[in-house]
Amino acid sequence: MNNRRFARTAGWLALPCLVAAGLLAWYVTREPATPFEQEQAGARFEPALVSRGEYVARLSDCVACHSLAGKAPFAGGLEMATPLGAIHATNITPDKQTGIGTYSLADFDRAVRHGVAPGGRRLYPAMPYPSYVKLSDDDIKALYAFFMQGIKPANQPNIPSDIPWPLNMRWPIALWNGVFAPTATYAAKPNQDALWNRGAYIVQGPGHCGSCHTPRGLAFNEKALDESGAPFLAGALLDGWYAPSLRQDPNTGLGRWTEPQIVQFLKTGRNAHAVVYGSMTEAFNNSTQFMQDEDLAAIARYLKSLPGDPQRDGAPWQYQAVAAVQDAPGAHTYATRCASCHGLDGKGQPEWMPPLAGATSALAKESASAINITLNGSQRVVAAGVPDAYRMPAFREQLSDAEIADVLTYVRSTWGNNGGTVDANAVGKLRGHTDPASSSPIILHMR
Amino acid sequence: MELRINQKAYQVDADADTPLLWVIRDDLGLTGTKYGCGLAQCGACSVLVDGNVVRSCVTPVAALVGREITTIEAIESDEVGKRVVATWVEHQVAQCGYCQSGQVMAATALLKHTPAPSKAQIEAAMINLCRCGTYNAIHAAVDALAKQEGA
Repeated sequence: MNNRRFARTAGWLALPCLVAAGLLAWYVTREPATPFEQEQAGARFEPALVSRGEYVARLSDCVACHSLAGKAPFAGGLEMATPLGAIHATNITPDKQTGIGTYSLADFDRAVRHGVAPGGRRLYPAMPYPSYVKLSDDDIKALYAFFMQGIKPANQPNIPSDIPWPLNMRWPIALWNGVFAPTATYAAKPNQDALWNRGAYIVQGPGHCGSCHTPRGLAFNEKALDESGAPFLAGALLDGWYAPSLRQDPNTGLGRWTEPQIVQFLKTGRNAHAVVYGSMTEAFNNSTQFMQDEDLAAIARYLKSLPGDPQRDGAPWQYQAVAAVQDAPGAHTYATRCASCHGLDGKGQPEWMPPLAGATSALAKESASAINITLNGSQRVVAAGVPDAYRMPAFREQLSDAEIADVLTYVRSTWGNNGGTVDANAVGKLRGHTDPASSSPIILHMR
Repeated sequence: MELRINQKAYQVDADADTPLLWVIRDDLGLTGTKYGCGLAQCGACSVLVDGNVVRSCVTPVAALVGREITTIEAIESDEVGKRVVATWVEHQVAQCGYCQSGQVMAATALLKHTPAPSKAQIEAAMINLCRCGTYNAIHAAVDALAKQEGA
């Protein structure tokens, strides 16, 4: 009798558990809906659609992760860190064996906008599908046409991730998606004009600016994915660089930049305020300079509409002149190593060599960008096929941790700059992390 | 654009961001100024702009319109520059000589601003690199020039 009652109770308990497990199994492997369910694979596309797709690929900067220098374009391979181990970008050429050659448009859509590969396998959100979900149906179709017809298949097998079992199970990502990844494409705001909406679309969607410029939460989620959240594009630390605020913060953001200056920066890599450096060099070399003028104008219009935060940003910077070279530590290093280009007055030689007076890297509390560029210099900025005439050299071999700390403290506390002091230990740490020969090099996180 | 170099006007056809060094060496044939590192690190390309020492490899030419540029070719028409060159010869400073055009420029600029620099000031200002290691001779020559002034 007791046994039968136990079995019955257990049965009643097991049933909901089984149902819950069944529901979970369905949820974490289900293939999201796509408007392209009926489209057949292997369709031929008009050249105009393929070239439109090539432009969407530029907007989306697919090459940033899916191409390695010297290898076949879009054949994958870039190593990226996760808290659990390294993963590698995949081959997205139309190779049928190792690439995405067998993908239907529906498969492609599910991967790009929802992070779900054929069979329900979840992609890691290093693929910015929480941003790409905003892409329009038309742009997805054009992008598919480009990847199927616009590039050569490359037979290059994907590199498996370093993440050990059981952490390498992909299904929990579906739960992460349920919490953090939006599911809707971009919907135009009726109270804003077409230019603003186009800018919002590019910034939030294909441009995925927030991948670097929006701070991330504990679950590596971007804290906001559009202008409704104050952390959206408010500046974030990653890969040894501080990606500054793109909001209207006069010190750490774009508050002092005009719309034409934003356009000029994205189109030519430089303006009177700054020159691209760090991770932005790649975004410029591969993506922003190829954007059409009206799209750049739209981005500028949208970014200028994002309010700053005086609490976070502090009192607006104002230039303060200094009399000759002072006796401060770092002042002599500045005069001898930095002033030839950046000027004793810190004003640089706009727009060729950026001013340090009022520079974001000298006003932000985070000193990572200032340290990193001093240690490692800047990468080649290639605008319209022409490499830049001037380039920040690396001081890794010439200046000690203490000398770099002193000269950056000088830069960050002169001409009205108030970023604050730089600690020699912080320089030493970043020196180690950015040395490719070290045992703990920085591996890129997100792009 | 028009550039004033060694008190002569030159018509120059160059992009705004072309380094001054390219223009004076390649376009105008004033090859006394040397290319060393191209990164403002060594000082071999030093010239004077309005009496201040400037590294011409990192100076976009467009910024120099309307300013007075002096290169090593005309340094002896400057009173201070003439003394520097004479002292350089007297002290036999040059070894291979590649950096010396820039060294003379740096010394001239220093003495124009600080006629009798102290040893510490000489050390702080004479920072151009010399692969032959003529630093002792350079410092001795500038020190002698400083003492001439003081005497």
